[in-house]
Amino acid sequence: MTKRIFRSVLLTALAVFLACLALVMGALYSYFSARQEKQLGTELRLAAAGVEAEGADYLARVGRQDGLRLTWVDADGTVLYDSNADAATMENHAGREEIAEALETGSGEGSRVSATLSEKTVYLAQRLSDGTVIRAAASHYTVPTLLFGILQPLLIIIILALALSAFLASRLSKRIVGPLNSIDLDHPLENDTYDELSPLLTRVERQQRQIRSQLEELGRRRREFEAVTGSMSEGLILLDRDGGILSINPAASKLFGASGDCVGQDILTVDRSPELRAVISRAHAGARAEAAIERMGLEYQLTASPVSGGGAVLLIFDVTERRRAERIRREFTANVSHELKTPLHSIMGAAELLETGLVKPGDEAQFYARIRSEASRLLALIEDVIGLSRLDEGEDFPTEETDLHELACEVAAQLGPEAQKRGISLEVEGGPAKLTGVRRLLWEVVWNLADNAVKYGSEGGHVLITTDSAQGRARLKVKDDGPGIPPEHQPRVFERFYRVDKSHSRQTGGTGLGLSIVKHAVQYHGGGISLYSDGGGTEITVELPQDFERK
Amino acid sequence: MRQRFDGQLAALNRELISMGALCEEAIAVTARSVLEADRQLCGRVSALEEEIDQKEREIERVCLRLLLQQQPVAGDLRQISAALKMITDMERIGDQALDIAETAGFMGSLDEADAELFRRLARTVVAMVTDSVDAYVKRDSAAARAVAKRDDEADEVFQAIKLAMIDRLSQRPGDGEYALDLLMIAKYLERIGDHATNIAEWVEFAATGYYKGREVL
Repeated sequence: MTKRIFRSVLLTALAVFLACLALVMGALYSYFSARQEKQLGTELRLAAAGVEAEGADYLARVGRQDGLRLTWVDADGTVLYDSNADAATMENHAGREEIAEALETGSGEGSRVSATLSEKTVYLAQRLSDGTVIRAAASHYTVPTLLFGILQPLLIIIILALALSAFLASRLSKRIVGPLNSIDLDHPLENDTYDELSPLLTRVERQQRQIRSQLEELGRRRREFEAVTGSMSEGLILLDRDGGILSINPAASKLFGASGDCVGQDILTVDRSPELRAVISRAHAGARAEAAIERMGLEYQLTASPVSGGGAVLLIFDVTERRRAERIRREFTANVSHELKTPLHSIMGAAELLETGLVKPGDEAQFYARIRSEASRLLALIEDVIGLSRLDEGEDFPTEETDLHELACEVAAQLGPEAQKRGISLEVEGGPAKLTGVRRLLWEVVWNLADNAVKYGSEGGHVLITTDSAQGRARLKVKDDGPGIPPEHQPRVFERFYRVDKSHSRQTGGTGLGLSIVKHAVQYHGGGISLYSDGGGTEITVELPQDFERK
Repeated sequence: MRQRFDGQLAALNRELISMGALCEEAIAVTARSVLEADRQLCGRVSALEEEIDQKEREIERVCLRLLLQQQPVAGDLRQISAALKMITDMERIGDQALDIAETAGFMGSLDEADAELFRRLARTVVAMVTDSVDAYVKRDSAAARAVAKRDDEADEVFQAIKLAMIDRLSQRPGDGEYALDLLMIAKYLERIGDHATNIAEWVEFAATGYYKGREVL
């Protein structure tokens, strides 16, 4: 800024200075030249009159005069006299412009610049009555010579102008810039500066307001985004076009074990598994890609989608539960068909034998009994499957006031003969455990647990059913003293068709769905099951809320 | 200008990490090919090795161009020169993984005891490579030094395999091919461990300027 001001000030000063110089020089030079010429004319006329009257004597008398040179030339151009030089040595002057003119017209004039260009000589000539010519000449300095003469003061003036311009420029720029520098841009309108700045300041103020509101808006959006992604159980990662992380939600950073400051870094610094790299490169190429990864024993599905503009979105779902459910469903279907087939084969076989008459007369009753019992097994199985699928569907069942103690007594009476057969003593203890629930489902719970205890308890053993209620929860405990369930099987006994000892299923006649039904029925009521089992028996405890409310 | 340079350095970093990831994958697949005696996996290792070679040339070019055009100093110079050295070791890891897979192609499955030893060696070496790349990712010189310590463990298991093979040969001289193949494989793995140590040393150099305990830059 200072430089520019300096330049303009200096330029102005020099321009004005030079213009003045040229004007003054031009005006004075032409004035003095005109004056000199006039004077020269007078001198010439005087000399001419003198020579006419006195001849060469006049000239000799006048002699050499300062600033004036007189030359007398004969009609043929021979120099007769010259005030400044020896006439004899001078060449013929007939060819000179002014003399030639004077010889012809009576008077002539001319001007010549000296060889060095430093002087200009003006000549005037006049023809005398005898035909000779008298010439007067005067010389003066040319403009460049004059300028050269005043060079020193000129330079001094220019240097002065330079210094003055520099000083003025720095002062001016300080004056201009000073207030600009001291402007408080945070509060533009509270500044006291010159008026020319106020449009700028109002604009700054307006833009600042705009920026503030935009920042607030951005902050709000970010908080919203973070609130949404933060509460997601799925992992979400946003990537820029180079694979740098723009945003990562807590679920994703927990999954990949990323630290909090990984935003802005490359995704590869967080995880560089082949699957992840593959889906990201596919997404960057503009295609959706999926992959399955395993982390900390859980299965995840990774989905990468390209975003217009070159980035990518990574979504990570926990699919452990889904995969497990799929596996269970597959197993269930396979199991159901198998379990349905076995009794049907039995029935088919017996029926075929009867049909072809291969059965000894008198033994038919045995085969009819087999067909009946297998058919009833099939029916029980189908009923269990239907019951389970109704529970799976989440169907609503009518609820009523039920007492687990009553149910337990009922079941114990029904299971009495069976228990007696195996020499097991079946007892019911405890007080009333009333709750609002689906009576049929609760009966299934009690029946299946007690039935299992009787079936799997050791012969001649003891099965104890205890019921009580406390703190809004009804509790049912079924305890046997059988061989127990080995620890590795315990987590799976509630799965459908899961059997601890596969070879015994025929013998005990269970469907393999009992405990699964128990689990679902308890879940339906919002209760919980706990299983404790060791070599000395199994104890299953069911806890149900007394005020059941179907959600 | 500096911003552009930073972008180029970040790209170099990214390439280096993905090359490290390729190495990890190659060793993991190789180890599986030995343990499962699966010849199909050899093809995958060979594809990975090719990719690693390509990455090496790519990174080399980027490094040289950066050195030439940006004339980096201090930390930047350390990072680029360390990268140049690291890719050589990574490339060797890829080669050796392929060598192992090729040798394994002619072998049957391992005996249970040998498989256990081999598994231990493979686990150690894979962990060393993973740790060295992790150390690079996190610019963690302490983690880099820890990699070098694990090398002793790898050497120890290699010795155990060697002794087992000597023992085997003295008892069943007919098993010469098996013993030599397994020994070669174990040696290759052990060499991969050495390369991982080298990488870790360069990581420490990139982070601190000290190489093998001496200040270099």
